[in-house]
Amino acid sequence: MAQVGHRVDYLAGFCCPVGGLVAGKPRVLCHENEIYLSNGTEFVYVYDQEGKVLKAVFRCPDQVWHVELLPQPRQLYILCAHSGIYCVSLEQQSRLMEQTDGDGQESNGPSGVFPVEADDEGKWWMRLHELPRPEQDGPPYRQVSQVEFCPGSPPGDSAGDAPPSCFLPVLCCAAAPGTQGLWCSGGFVLEEPLFSLLFGIDVAMLESPMILCGFPDGQLCSVPLKALSSSPAADGCRDVSTPAPPVKILHHLEEPIVFIGALRTERRAHDDDDNDDDTDTEQPAGEPGCDCVVAVGHYGKMVAVKADQREEATVPELREYYLRGPILCAACGSGSRMYYSTHSDISAVDLDWAGDSSDPEDTESGAGVLPPVLSPASLSICSVVALSLSSRASEGESELLALSAKGRLVSCGLCSPEEPDVELTPAEIGRRIKELLSGIGDTSERVSFLKKAVDQRNRALASLNQVMNVSAALLSSQEGHKPIACTVTANWSCLLLQDTVTISCLLENCSEYSLEEGWTLCVQLLASPCALEEESMDSATTFTFPIDQLLPGNKRELTLPLGPAADTKLDLPLTISCALYYSLRDILGSGSDSSEDLDDFLPEDSPLLSPDREGICLPLSQCTIDMLQCLRFGSSPPGPSAPPAPSDPVETFLKVSGEQTEPEEGKAPAEENLPPSAASIRVSSELLKSALKTSETDVPLCCATLRWLLAENPGAEVLSSTEAASVCGTAPDGAHVQLLVREVAMNDLSPAGPIQAVEILMESPSLAHMCRTHHAVIRRIQALVLEQAAQGSGPPDLRMQYLRQIQANHEMLLKEARTLRDQPPPGGEGAEGSATATEKLLNIYRQLRNPSLVLL
Amino acid sequence: MAAAMKRRRERDPGLGPEPEPEPEPKPEQGCLRAWAAQSRALVGRWTAARCGGETRRACRQLRDELRELLRRIRGLPAALPALPLELTVLYNSLLFTVGASDSAIKGEAEGIRQGLLRVLEACGACGQDLGTEELWEKVLQEVTVEELQAPLHRLGALQAAWWLAASQLGSVAGLFQLLSTAEDLGRAHCNAGQNKLLSLIKAWRVPPEGASLPLVQSAKDLKEILCTAAAFLQGLQELEAGNFPTALSLLQEAAGGFCSKNILAQIHTCLGCCAQRMGKPQTALQHLKRALQVDFQCLPALSHVAAVYHDLGETNAELQALTLLYEALGKSPPAAASSSPCFLVRAELLVHTPVLISLLRRHHPSEVKYLLAQRCLQDGRVADAVEHYLDFLSLLQEGLQQQVPLDGSSALPRIPEVFLEAASALEQAGRHQDAITVCEEVISRTTDLIPRVLRVEERLESSLPGAELAGGLLSQKKESLCCLAWRAAGYLHQGWAWAKLGESKEAVTQFSRCISDVLRVQLHGSGIKQTENLQPEVEVLQKIRLLSLIGRGTQFLELGRNKEALLDFQHSLQISPGDPAAASYLVQALWELNRKQEAAAQWQKFSQSCPAEDGQQQGQGRPLPLYLVSCQEQAMFPHSEALARSIQDYLGTAAQDMPS
Repeated sequence: MAQVGHRVDYLAGFCCPVGGLVAGKPRVLCHENEIYLSNGTEFVYVYDQEGKVLKAVFRCPDQVWHVELLPQPRQLYILCAHSGIYCVSLEQQSRLMEQTDGDGQESNGPSGVFPVEADDEGKWWMRLHELPRPEQDGPPYRQVSQVEFCPGSPPGDSAGDAPPSCFLPVLCCAAAPGTQGLWCSGGFVLEEPLFSLLFGIDVAMLESPMILCGFPDGQLCSVPLKALSSSPAADGCRDVSTPAPPVKILHHLEEPIVFIGALRTERRAHDDDDNDDDTDTEQPAGEPGCDCVVAVGHYGKMVAVKADQREEATVPELREYYLRGPILCAACGSGSRMYYSTHSDISAVDLDWAGDSSDPEDTESGAGVLPPVLSPASLSICSVVALSLSSRASEGESELLALSAKGRLVSCGLCSPEEPDVELTPAEIGRRIKELLSGIGDTSERVSFLKKAVDQRNRALASLNQVMNVSAALLSSQEGHKPIACTVTANWSCLLLQDTVTISCLLENCSEYSLEEGWTLCVQLLASPCALEEESMDSATTFTFPIDQLLPGNKRELTLPLGPAADTKLDLPLTISCALYYSLRDILGSGSDSSEDLDDFLPEDSPLLSPDREGICLPLSQCTIDMLQCLRFGSSPPGPSAPPAPSDPVETFLKVSGEQTEPEEGKAPAEENLPPSAASIRVSSELLKSALKTSETDVPLCCATLRWLLAENPGAEVLSSTEAASVCGTAPDGAHVQLLVREVAMNDLSPAGPIQAVEILMESPSLAHMCRTHHAVIRRIQALVLEQAAQGSGPPDLRMQYLRQIQANHEMLLKEARTLRDQPPPGGEGAEGSATATEKLLNIYRQLRNPSLVLL
Repeated sequence: MAAAMKRRRERDPGLGPEPEPEPEPKPEQGCLRAWAAQSRALVGRWTAARCGGETRRACRQLRDELRELLRRIRGLPAALPALPLELTVLYNSLLFTVGASDSAIKGEAEGIRQGLLRVLEACGACGQDLGTEELWEKVLQEVTVEELQAPLHRLGALQAAWWLAASQLGSVAGLFQLLSTAEDLGRAHCNAGQNKLLSLIKAWRVPPEGASLPLVQSAKDLKEILCTAAAFLQGLQELEAGNFPTALSLLQEAAGGFCSKNILAQIHTCLGCCAQRMGKPQTALQHLKRALQVDFQCLPALSHVAAVYHDLGETNAELQALTLLYEALGKSPPAAASSSPCFLVRAELLVHTPVLISLLRRHHPSEVKYLLAQRCLQDGRVADAVEHYLDFLSLLQEGLQQQVPLDGSSALPRIPEVFLEAASALEQAGRHQDAITVCEEVISRTTDLIPRVLRVEERLESSLPGAELAGGLLSQKKESLCCLAWRAAGYLHQGWAWAKLGESKEAVTQFSRCISDVLRVQLHGSGIKQTENLQPEVEVLQKIRLLSLIGRGTQFLELGRNKEALLDFQHSLQISPGDPAAASYLVQALWELNRKQEAAAQWQKFSQSCPAEDGQQQGQGRPLPLYLVSCQEQAMFPHSEALARSIQDYLGTAAQDMPS
């Protein structure tokens, strides 16, 4: 059996009335490359199969019941419900539709020639109309003759009360043999001897085309077109049960007929070396005609008629088959196969049956020319309501056009059946199987590869989506509360048996998006240049923490130690900036290795892009860690100065002797000998009070100030309970720092009287630490002053002269310091000379550090 | 329609329908007047429209508007003052219905029944369950209101029209009886000889027409039309029944009545047919000629003329008539021209019986052409016959516009027979090759339909019990037999054609084929050869066999194969003993074989048994099909005089040789 491997292409979708398309009304016709389609609505579509585009849509006044195409000239005849037949000329691309008939008629007729009209009493009338010639102007459609049919009511319909059957009569044109070129679509040329056997010799000699009609009650009738007129009998009364004379009932199918067609079951043997040029051959040099007429009923009954040329006589063989119904539509191709569609499938049946020629004497087996049993082959396309076989495919291959119940036009390429002569050896079969299997393997591989690619792209899209969401959320809230916030605090923690200052970053996701995999939290520690060192540059260290997943509302805490190493060289103040980074390279995955793809993603000057254009960088927050935050308060601050208990005497000796590794400039050779460095700053009490918003009764101002200064120091929580105005803390490297806050009164500044001020005194044996603390305090007070200045309160009167005096002093001191610094130390003096210079410088600085100025 | 709508809108504010449940509500005079005005306006429009073109469309429009008006009037309960208007509107609308469709009146007149019920309702009676006739009876008896009489009578006339169209003559008579008063009826009965229905109709007095309620077609016209139609219808009925004199008188009555050109021509045609059936061909011709004078488009009359001439045997005239008919058919399109729009109800619309249809059947041009050809051939005008046959064959090849009717009432025989006749005509005209070609067509077409062996009953079996069941099979067999006969005839013709062309060998082949074809038929029968009660096809086959045997025999004689010729002639004599041609040829063959004694004996036997032989065929049995006539003639023995002389000489010498 021939294999039916097919390829289904979806061509176009058309609108579909509610409830799907009803079988019987939709129609698909094809001629050359164009498909004419009606789906039971008011529209007729013309679709170009080559360009796969809809070429034209015709809108008719009423529901379209049938469409027929006349090839020459190209005209489309459309039958509309209740309004008659319309003719559309396709040559001129016009928009006009001529109406051919004004009366309401039901029919489906080839080339607009035969409307079949239902009478009231259940009779059907067929009328033959003459088409006008192009040059004719006059009344267009002249009725030539008419004939009457009297079919019974459809089976299953109760008399009278049943709603009118939805089945319309089916018409088909069988042309006489020798007809060159069909003048309508859907017709066929029937060969001898079947033509004469079925329809009679008179019609055959007239070469009249026959119209085969299938009625809803199951009658299959034939009418000759050239002898259409029926005249009443001379005696005036006619037996109503028998049909009028030209009408001949061929068969009664007992169920509504949905399709009539013809097949060519016997293939002619083409003898290539027998080209006779003589004109005696009756068969024209075109396609051979059909030799088997088939009619299909709605519930599955099918009848096939073929001429059986036996020795005694040629008789028509009629065979009924039972297919699985309900059959919606069918189509015949140029071969021996008929395709029919049920609700669930399209099946093909082949009526080519070689017959049992090996046993000619055996007539008992009933060997005829039609196969005894049909075995349908399924095409697995479901719910098709209109079928048509395309004529444009080349020889041997055909294409099935189908309109599904949902209004979709699909084309199904059918493989030609194999030549029955080719014998397949087992080796051949094996080879073919191998080929098929490898083909399957290839296909499945490709499928999986494509699937993976699709998945990857999906994932990439998802990731990008959330990236964009997060970015948008962050960038759109420039002021105010950020949806994703990173809070940085400094802590003391015990790390590797040592206490170090650590930074803890608290990443909080207050937005509604979750941070998925791929995000990295970058914490950059930027140390400002330290003035105490000669060569110091901006040094930045960046720590990156990949974030696995941070759901909305969750927090993540990350800790990192300050200082690059365990030793206590810590350059405070540190600027810490946090940012979120997303690497775009990961999105593209393995598919792209070049950065050009990334260029396509984001534009050139996108602010999101990180400098290397491989990711998105979203700054979160920036803050400064200074000395005040790193001070540690406690009862017994264990510093690195506490030596480990068991000490190696050798080591102690070495340590003591090798102490002076890097004498810091500005630092006294012996720390213990120098008095502790101190700095002070005075702020007016008014200012502080208004800034800190405290009253006298609550907390004394000094305590409040101290608390405020140490607000960001987690270790200073202790102080909040006590009312201390001075505190002593330990710096990260063990040096002590003392803070003292006291109230003073400055007498000489204002003529109004003494100004109450708060003096903050910082002391530390280490100059560096003192400077750092000083810097930290000044920074805070600066911020406070700016804040208060914005609110605006005028300074009290000051004695300008006094101020000027102080300023002059300061300037002098500065000048001196500068000269001393710039002056190269006298070379001969060596360490002593430099020591005096440094001492003088230190004095000056000390004086500068303790100005008698006050911040108001 | 738009005008009506506008008018309706204008009138709406003024309308105030009174839904009173009283049996006799009094509608406002306002709407009555308005409706009357509208009715007048519509009728006025018709008067204007019927002069112009597109009358049918105007009829349709006016019908719809009148129906609308009627519906509105019927919105109110029936009231006596409004009833005349309502009935008049109904009358007019029915007339427009007829005019709009312009085809025969069918079915019941809608609205009349309801109108009658409303009349009864207005008069306080009820008539729901009554049939239409009884309704009329009740209405006409009970309702005596003066104003209603005229409209009712008119409506009655329309009802009568509908009944006439349905051939319910009894109902019409009853109705008119009711419509007429006693004295009218008395007057009617005086004319005893006249047809009762006609007298009733004539006795009916037409109610006067009022100016306030104009009519589209006056009742007087209607009465005339009814008279004509009734007479015509009855005449046709009598014609069908076979009572020709009655039919004649009735039809003449109808012809004298009020009718248009069309119907007058039709009536005359029917008169002609009637006369023809009565056996008065000259009278028939007169009537038919009159029909044609009145309306030349009445082409059926022309075909009847041809038929009459055929019966009279006047071939010339017949051929002339047929030629004229053919030309006339070719010229005008069969579509009937629109008749004058003056009268909406016309007699043609009322009389539409199958009898009339069959009498007035228009022949197709193909049929007429065939008739021409056939008559020419039958008459021996070979050249014309050939021309006509060839025309006919080319007609068949034309498109679908040329319909070739194949049903029983067509003048055409079976198509293969037509071909064979054409071949026979060609042969007679001496165009033997063409004849061979035409026969070849027949032979090739029938080849597939003939079984190898055909078993057939020899004689017609009357009322075979299983005949209906085996009907299909029988018809199939009959068809095969016919095909066989045609093919055999084809071979026969070819044989004779080849013989005329001088190709004896070819002729012998064809004759042999013919004979073998005929031999395919296996006859079952009693075995006794009887010439009566044979199936017609079997008879034909026998004849063909005879002719082919004779033909072959003659060719054998030509070829000098006298022994085979003798066998053939003997066979032919066996088939048809007493056949003069066969006998003569047998004698000839014997003579050629030098068996002169036997020849003489045969001769004597033959001349004794059939004294009246002069080339005439035996008139028993059915006439020979036309296509075999020429073969029969060709089979006739040409040298009978010479042979007779030689036989006589021989007999004379033989007698002398046998003295003592």
